[in-house]
Amino acid sequence: MSAPATGKQNPAFYALLCALIIMAIGPVLMMLITSLKLNVDIMSDTSGLLFMPTLRNYETALCDMLWYDPAHVDYCDPTFGRALVNSLIISITSTILTLVIGTMAAYALVRFRFMGRDAVSLTTLMMRMVPPAVLLVPVFGIWTFQFAIDGTRAGIVLIYVAMNLPFVIWILQSFIVQVPIQLEEAARMDGAGPFQVFFLVVLPLIKPGLAAASIFTFRIAWNEFLLANALADRNSRTVPVTIVNSLTEFEIDWGVIMATGMLLAIPPILFTLLASRQIITGMTAGAVKG
Amino acid sequence: MPEIKLDGLRKDYGAVSVIENLNLSMEDGEFTVLVGPSGCGKSTTLRMIAGLENVTAGRIEIDGRDVSKLDPKERDLAMVFQDYALYPHMNVAKNMSFALRLARYSKAEINKRVTEVAEILDLSAHLNRKPAELSGGQRQRVAMGRALVRDAGTFLFDEPLSNLDAKLRGQMRAELALMSQRINKNMIYVTHDQVEAMTLGDRIVVMKAGQIMQAGTPEELYRKPANVFVAGFIGSPPMNFLIAELRDEAGTVRLEGSGFSIPIPAERAASLTQHTGRTVTVGIRPSGFTESDAANATEMPVLLSEYVGAQSVLISELGGARVTIEVNSVAPVRSGEVRKFQIEREELHLFDPKTEAAL
Repeated sequence: MSAPATGKQNPAFYALLCALIIMAIGPVLMMLITSLKLNVDIMSDTSGLLFMPTLRNYETALCDMLWYDPAHVDYCDPTFGRALVNSLIISITSTILTLVIGTMAAYALVRFRFMGRDAVSLTTLMMRMVPPAVLLVPVFGIWTFQFAIDGTRAGIVLIYVAMNLPFVIWILQSFIVQVPIQLEEAARMDGAGPFQVFFLVVLPLIKPGLAAASIFTFRIAWNEFLLANALADRNSRTVPVTIVNSLTEFEIDWGVIMATGMLLAIPPILFTLLASRQIITGMTAGAVKG
Repeated sequence: MPEIKLDGLRKDYGAVSVIENLNLSMEDGEFTVLVGPSGCGKSTTLRMIAGLENVTAGRIEIDGRDVSKLDPKERDLAMVFQDYALYPHMNVAKNMSFALRLARYSKAEINKRVTEVAEILDLSAHLNRKPAELSGGQRQRVAMGRALVRDAGTFLFDEPLSNLDAKLRGQMRAELALMSQRINKNMIYVTHDQVEAMTLGDRIVVMKAGQIMQAGTPEELYRKPANVFVAGFIGSPPMNFLIAELRDEAGTVRLEGSGFSIPIPAERAASLTQHTGRTVTVGIRPSGFTESDAANATEMPVLLSEYVGAQSVLISELGGARVTIEVNSVAPVRSGEVRKFQIEREELHLFDPKTEAAL
């Protein structure tokens, strides 16, 4: 039985579509539902979708950031609030640094002629091929014994910048290549210096590339666990590390963990929504006769 | 309004020399057109004047000041690019005012100049539009506006009309000519189109392979081409070239070619006596043939007749060589006819076949 060219789709197609949607959204939905349950409900065999939703788990997770003291919290654990601040600072700083250094490096690689340009261009991408796990031990050693920046936010920011830079340079190169050189020449004739050409003409035109690169870097920095786990100490832990650390032998507070997970998912979603607005195709349309 | 002088200019790309020893001076307020086939170095020359290309050797002087090592912005030039090169993220007003904003002019001054130029170029209604929302002709005008608001000493044009369709190109050419009369600045214009060169230029510089073939007024180039290249490049349809022998027969100098024999007018013959007995290249413009019933007129077959309005262009044959003839369209000529033509003796151009220089 084959579906006619125009008309009804094969039911199997819809079945597949539903399966894919459940696979994609199911776990998130499960997490959301669990985060709204009390531990009693979570552990009980009888309660499925029938329960009294509550925000208690969120209150517990965010207790030190709330303006009131939730009645049900006996001891307010500041770990999660601190981790959220750490995560935000580390992700945003490393994203900004990566973009600033990345655009300049990409611009130089595209526009300037110098010896070893192609080699540099190629090796930047090859660096990206090295799995973070391989870097773990040497980075830990160097960060701890030589730089003595282990356990600091700066140390984590540094390794994230180093890790994301190759890909950002590579992706931005392809955007900068598309900026017609005549635009830069026109700007020079109009009296712009090298930095004015870069900031006033090139940068606005590669906005879509910057947005794509920033989504990428922010997401990696926000989710990264392995290196952060090795480098962070109590005060510089990020959210993913904190969540894993809260799984202990003695107690696993599933409700709070799920609430933390939901909170962890929000910033990247917001960031992606904001940044993706900048991804508009055809930014250079009308610049030069194409 | 500065005087621009190129002195022994040279440009190499690696081992390849594109321009060798170029000398040229452009007078105050002159409209100079650099014209030549693609690859002749005309754009490179312009870009060197603009400061977008380094000079390998030689000097570029603007009003006696050597600018060959200076940045483009220090040369007091404005340039219109072939591909418009408008900033796509800025609207028309921002595009035109970019240079003024960089130079930190006051808002009021910027507004005044942009409005003024927009009015001249008929862009007032489009000041808030982005380049992508404009037509080709409008974009071209914005590109010109961007140069005009700057009030620079010299304007450079790099084939600014080559991307427009034929009709628009004619219009813009006329506008450009009017504009150049009005603002009376130094203009240097690069094109490969000899019609543009002839109609716009006060002075035309014909270039080939990095060298100047001839520089002069449009009329000079048309009437007295210095060599075969200039003769063939200037004028449309292009000049016909035939091989003939210069003979001295009992005091009259004649051109004897296959299928034609033309006596040279006496005043011209005097200067040619030293060349008699030699083979020469004869250049005859298509308009140099006239229909005639005289006894010495040559019968020529019309292989093809192209009707272009007031004129018809005929492809014919003379002594085995293809020739182009331009005649009035009053009496239509059909392909396949045989007509009698006479060659205007005043319209003859003689060249040395080896050096290709005019005799």
